Amino acid sequence: MKIGVPRALLYYYYFPLWQKLLLCLGHEVVVSPETNKEIVDLGVKKSVPEICVPIKIFNGHVENLLKKNVDYLFVPRMVSVEKGCTFCPKFLGLPDMVRSTFPELEGKLISPKIEMNSEIIAEPHCYQELKDVLNLSDKELRKALKVAKKHWLKFRSISKKGYLISEALDLVDQKTVPPFENQGDITIGLIGYVYDIYDEFVSMNVAKRMRGLGVNVVTFEMLEERIIDREVKQMSKVLFWTFSNKIFGAGMHFYRNKRVDGIIHITAFGCGPDSLLGKMLELDSEKFNKPFMTVRVDEHTGETHLQTRIEAFIDMLRKKKKKG
Amino acid sequence: MKVSFPYMGTPIGYKKIAALLGHEVIDPPKPTQRTIDLGVKYSPEFACFPMKVLLGSYIEAIELGADTLISSGGHGPCRAGFYGEVQSKILRSMGYDVDLIIFDSIKRDFLGFYRKVKKIKGKHSWRDVWYTLKFSYHTIKILDFLEQQIETVRAYEVHKGQSTKVWEMIEKKIDGAYSDAELDRVKKEAQEMIDEIKLVQVPEEQKIRIGIVGEIYVVMESSVNMRVEERLGELGCEVRRSQYLSEWVDFNLIPARFSPSREPEILRKGEKYIEIIIGGHAKQNMGAIVDYKEQGFDGIVHLMPFGCLPELISQSIMPKVSEDLDIPVLTLSLDEQTGRANSLTRLEAFVDLIRTRKNGKCIIQVS
Repeated sequence: MKIGVPRALLYYYYFPLWQKLLLCLGHEVVVSPETNKEIVDLGVKKSVPEICVPIKIFNGHVENLLKKNVDYLFVPRMVSVEKGCTFCPKFLGLPDMVRSTFPELEGKLISPKIEMNSEIIAEPHCYQELKDVLNLSDKELRKALKVAKKHWLKFRSISKKGYLISEALDLVDQKTVPPFENQGDITIGLIGYVYDIYDEFVSMNVAKRMRGLGVNVVTFEMLEERIIDREVKQMSKVLFWTFSNKIFGAGMHFYRNKRVDGIIHITAFGCGPDSLLGKMLELDSEKFNKPFMTVRVDEHTGETHLQTRIEAFIDMLRKKKKKG
Repeated sequence: MKVSFPYMGTPIGYKKIAALLGHEVIDPPKPTQRTIDLGVKYSPEFACFPMKVLLGSYIEAIELGADTLISSGGHGPCRAGFYGEVQSKILRSMGYDVDLIIFDSIKRDFLGFYRKVKKIKGKHSWRDVWYTLKFSYHTIKILDFLEQQIETVRAYEVHKGQSTKVWEMIEKKIDGAYSDAELDRVKKEAQEMIDEIKLVQVPEEQKIRIGIVGEIYVVMESSVNMRVEERLGELGCEVRRSQYLSEWVDFNLIPARFSPSREPEILRKGEKYIEIIIGGHAKQNMGAIVDYKEQGFDGIVHLMPFGCLPELISQSIMPKVSEDLDIPVLTLSLDEQTGRANSLTRLEAFVDLIRTRKNGKCIIQVS
């Protein structure tokens, strides 16, 4: 069976797991191509105007997959991967939204409800719907999940070595992964959701661009979970969204860590959780005396503005470092 | 303590609690353009509209001398539960020294809830607190009961604007009532005032009923939704909201067994369109629309603040709901850009459309 997986949203975090799972069950996995102008335009046409860019892009990928005649479309309902936290409401309602936006998807949608208290989402109860739709036995599902889990943990360990997710997605299939070496003279903490930073169309490849300018880039998924947890625990009231918490925790860690020279926050136009956590981090910038810059991206493309702003920010950091 | 709280609909209910517990109440200013401007200036750009208006209201209340602000919190997934954290950080960075007490769900954080209640309770006994809460609940029940009548008669009043004036008078009267006996007397007077409003007789089949659904703050607070209820009333429509303060209390604060709330039923009705609770009142709104259709309503006005997370999902699903149920829906997204003429034109056109639909036969003959 051909199962489509849109290259959007949490694809950038969980794809190795889902890919292995579906492959082990003997299905063909069809992934939409990397985001391009055409996909964005399709998505914008299918979405309500105010919704955030990542969701618009998601709709574009769904439309693209529909044209490829997939038998099923894999759109999990991400509810929670941490006790007490959920995902942004748009993730919770995503299958409902897709179903009403694309009526032709009726009966083709597989949307297992992922509700767990751990980030390793490889428990059979999360994939009940997949089991029903594909007529699987308990044993088959459990066996496939075991393989998928191992694969995903390997992917995460590659990330933690310091590789960007775009690199880790390629490296995960190789047998040995060389250790990563940083070569830049300054270090910037790059915070933002995986689907903003690693979608090369949206972020205009900001991470690699920065590396090209001789900067070491650290992101939240390169940090150990306990580092982030420690920062998050210090808040009087934690945010409600798992990934926002990770970003906030990473941001605070970057503020405290002496090796990090500055922080860049990539956020998408219309992102709700970011509007709050961005402001919180911004207000703390003065306290820690560390430069903080927000880059807001959307479906429009203007590469030069991004290049100029990043260059200026890096120049400023270098000057500051020389002085101090 | 000099206590204040933001507007969300009439604040008489909470005012009573604070006043009866011996606090000096700073009458919260009703949001105006200045409130909105202040809020917008100091809030994050993409924060939702309610947060900006609330922040503006807090600043204005502080300027009037308030030192304690009380509001409600939440536990996600909607952003509203986190307003308090960000707002107090912003207020501190602006140099205001003020106590922002945010009530979160009692089930999640009992100790925190208890501490906050104790702070507000002061030296009064728990019996006083119980009486105060009961009295305040009674007050908002009466207010909502009367307001629903106003929402109906406004459509048919002979002298335009009379019911709105009557409602303002009623609010003032209830505001001044501080004992059960007084409250009952005022209720009777108010009822008489409403009954005295002269009405045009409209045949049953020509009556238009519109349900307002959406995000709770913009639905309940008329000063930020361009007084959409009054406008619809002026256009000759009866109006009902999906949110009333007393109903919110029924569902959220009173144990399910004793609660007269219809919300569980409404949630069941919304299941078809949004399977799980995704925050805010998105699922309830879906249920409310189904419910309104079953009650024979003619149209739905859907209000949302710009960029509201749950309501954007509702908005995406709205075309399907509208088609399935065969009921017209108008979505209005509200923020600090008050292009009033634009929205009013859309409202008028919407009502025209409903009227045409309703008297379909005559139109065919005319054309």
